[in-house]
Amino acid sequence: MSISSPLADFDLDAAWRLHPQVSVRPERFGALLYHFGTRRLSFLKSPALLTVVRSLESEPSARSACSRAGIGASDLPAYTRALARLADSQMICGRSAA
Amino acid sequence: MPDSATELLERPADEGAGSEIAAAEPDELVAADLLVEEISIDGMCGVY
Repeated sequence: MSISSPLADFDLDAAWRLHPQVSVRPERFGALLYHFGTRRLSFLKSPALLTVVRSLESEPSARSACSRAGIGASDLPAYTRALARLADSQMICGRSAA
Repeated sequence: MPDSATELLERPADEGAGSEIAAAEPDELVAADLLVEEISIDGMCGVY
Protein backbone atom coordinates (compact mmCIF):
# COMPACT_ATOMS: atom_id res chain seq x y z
CA MET A 1 0.00 0.00 0.00
CA SER A 2 1.35 3.40 -0.91
CA ILE A 3 0.79 6.47 1.24
CA SER A 4 0.55 9.76 -0.60
CA SER A 5 2.49 12.69 0.81
CA PRO A 6 -0.46 15.13 1.18
CA LEU A 7 -1.59 13.08 4.17
CA ALA A 8 1.53 14.17 6.03
CA ASP A 9 1.17 17.83 5.07
CA PHE A 10 -2.20 18.61 6.59
CA ASP A 11 -2.14 21.94 8.44
CA LEU A 12 -4.00 21.39 11.67
CA ASP A 13 -3.72 25.07 12.54
CA ALA A 14 -5.27 26.35 9.32
CA ALA A 15 -8.94 27.23 8.82
CA TRP A 16 -10.89 24.52 7.00
CA ARG A 17 -14.44 23.99 5.90
CA LEU A 18 -16.63 21.37 4.31
CA HIS A 19 -16.39 21.68 0.53
CA PRO A 20 -19.52 23.44 -0.82
CA GLN A 21 -20.19 20.55 -3.20
CA VAL A 22 -20.27 18.01 -0.38
CA SER A 23 -23.46 16.74 1.19
CA VAL A 24 -23.47 15.18 4.66
CA ARG A 25 -25.79 12.42 5.75
CA PRO A 26 -25.50 11.45 9.42
CA GLU A 27 -25.55 7.71 10.06
CA ARG A 28 -25.45 5.47 13.11
CA PHE A 29 -21.76 4.74 12.54
CA GLY A 30 -20.87 8.39 11.85
CA ALA A 31 -21.77 9.87 8.48
CA LEU A 32 -21.68 9.57 4.73
CA LEU A 33 -20.14 12.40 2.73
CA TYR A 34 -20.90 12.68 -0.97
CA HIS A 35 -18.97 15.02 -3.24
CA PHE A 36 -21.10 16.07 -6.23
CA GLY A 37 -18.03 17.17 -8.17
CA THR A 38 -15.77 14.17 -7.79
CA ARG A 39 -18.62 11.66 -7.30
CA ARG A 40 -16.81 10.13 -4.38
CA LEU A 41 -18.21 8.87 -1.13
CA SER A 42 -16.43 9.02 2.19
CA PHE A 43 -17.58 7.15 5.24
CA LEU A 44 -16.85 8.85 8.54
CA LYS A 45 -16.79 5.94 10.91
CA SER A 46 -16.82 8.01 14.06
CA PRO A 47 -19.54 10.38 15.32
CA ALA A 48 -16.77 12.50 16.82
CA LEU A 49 -15.21 12.94 13.39
CA LEU A 50 -18.57 14.12 12.09
CA THR A 51 -18.66 16.66 14.92
CA VAL A 52 -15.19 17.83 13.93
CA VAL A 53 -16.09 18.14 10.26
CA ARG A 54 -19.28 20.03 11.02
CA SER A 55 -17.54 22.48 13.30
CA LEU A 56 -14.66 23.26 10.94
CA GLU A 57 -16.61 26.14 9.43
CA SER A 58 -17.10 27.91 12.73
CA GLU A 59 -13.72 27.20 14.30
CA PRO A 60 -10.51 29.13 13.59
CA SER A 61 -8.56 25.93 12.95
CA ALA A 62 -8.93 22.19 12.59
CA ARG A 63 -7.10 21.86 15.89
CA SER A 64 -9.73 23.88 17.71
CA ALA A 65 -12.49 21.93 15.97
CA CYS A 66 -10.94 18.73 17.29
CA SER A 67 -10.63 20.21 20.75
CA ARG A 68 -14.27 21.31 20.74
CA ALA A 69 -15.30 17.80 19.70
CA GLY A 70 -13.46 16.38 22.70
CA ILE A 71 -10.61 14.78 20.78
CA GLY A 72 -7.80 14.17 23.26
CA ALA A 73 -4.10 14.47 22.60
CA SER A 74 -3.70 10.73 22.24
CA ASP A 75 -6.34 10.57 19.50
CA LEU A 76 -5.30 13.76 17.72
CA PRO A 77 -2.79 12.12 15.32
CA ALA A 78 -5.42 9.70 14.02
CA TYR A 79 -7.98 12.45 13.58
CA THR A 80 -5.39 14.65 11.89
CA ARG A 81 -4.70 11.92 9.38
CA ALA A 82 -8.42 11.36 8.90
CA LEU A 83 -8.83 15.07 8.14
CA ALA A 84 -5.82 14.93 5.84
CA ARG A 85 -7.47 12.13 3.94
CA LEU A 86 -10.67 14.17 3.65
CA ALA A 87 -8.66 17.15 2.40
CA ASP A 88 -6.83 14.98 -0.10
CA SER A 89 -10.16 13.79 -1.50
CA GLN A 90 -11.53 17.38 -1.51
CA MET A 91 -14.25 16.64 1.03
CA ILE A 92 -12.89 19.52 3.08
CA CYS A 93 -10.93 22.48 1.81
CA GLY A 94 -9.09 25.48 3.09
CA ARG A 95 -11.54 28.18 4.02
CA SER A 96 -10.07 30.61 1.53
CA ALA A 97 -9.99 27.98 -1.25
CA ALA A 98 -13.73 27.30 -1.66
CA MET B 1 -22.80 -2.93 -2.31
CA PRO B 2 -21.18 -6.18 -1.29
CA ASP B 3 -21.96 -7.64 2.09
CA SER B 4 -18.36 -7.20 3.19
CA ALA B 5 -18.55 -3.46 2.63
CA THR B 6 -21.82 -3.29 4.52
CA GLU B 7 -20.27 -5.19 7.39
CA LEU B 8 -17.36 -2.76 7.42
CA LEU B 9 -19.71 0.20 7.73
CA GLU B 10 -21.60 -1.44 10.55
CA ARG B 11 -18.51 -2.02 12.66
CA PRO B 12 -17.65 0.30 15.52
CA ALA B 13 -14.63 2.48 14.78
CA ASP B 14 -12.41 0.56 17.17
CA GLU B 15 -12.73 -2.71 15.25
CA GLY B 16 -10.45 -3.62 12.42
CA ALA B 17 -10.80 -3.01 8.69
CA GLY B 18 -8.24 -5.73 8.03
CA SER B 19 -5.66 -7.25 10.31
CA GLU B 20 -3.20 -7.53 7.43
CA ILE B 21 -3.30 -3.74 7.10
CA ALA B 22 -2.88 -3.30 10.83
CA ALA B 23 0.26 -5.38 10.73
CA ALA B 24 1.75 -3.34 7.90
CA GLU B 25 1.15 0.25 8.95
CA PRO B 26 1.94 2.50 11.92
CA ASP B 27 -0.81 2.67 14.51
CA GLU B 28 -1.99 6.14 13.62
CA LEU B 29 -2.36 5.23 9.95
CA VAL B 30 -4.47 2.25 10.92
CA ALA B 31 -6.59 4.44 13.16
CA ALA B 32 -7.11 6.94 10.34
CA ASP B 33 -8.09 4.09 8.05
CA LEU B 34 -10.71 3.12 10.59
CA LEU B 35 -12.05 6.66 10.78
CA VAL B 36 -12.41 7.33 7.06
CA GLU B 37 -13.23 4.99 4.20
CA GLU B 38 -13.50 6.26 0.64
CA ILE B 39 -15.06 4.87 -2.52
CA SER B 40 -15.88 6.21 -5.96
CA ILE B 41 -19.30 5.55 -7.40
CA ASP B 42 -18.13 6.02 -11.00
CA GLY B 43 -19.31 3.03 -12.97
CA MET B 44 -21.88 2.07 -10.36
CA CYS B 45 -24.66 4.37 -11.62
CA GLY B 46 -25.31 3.60 -15.27
CA VAL B 47 -29.07 4.17 -15.24
CA TYR B 48 -30.94 6.93 -13.50
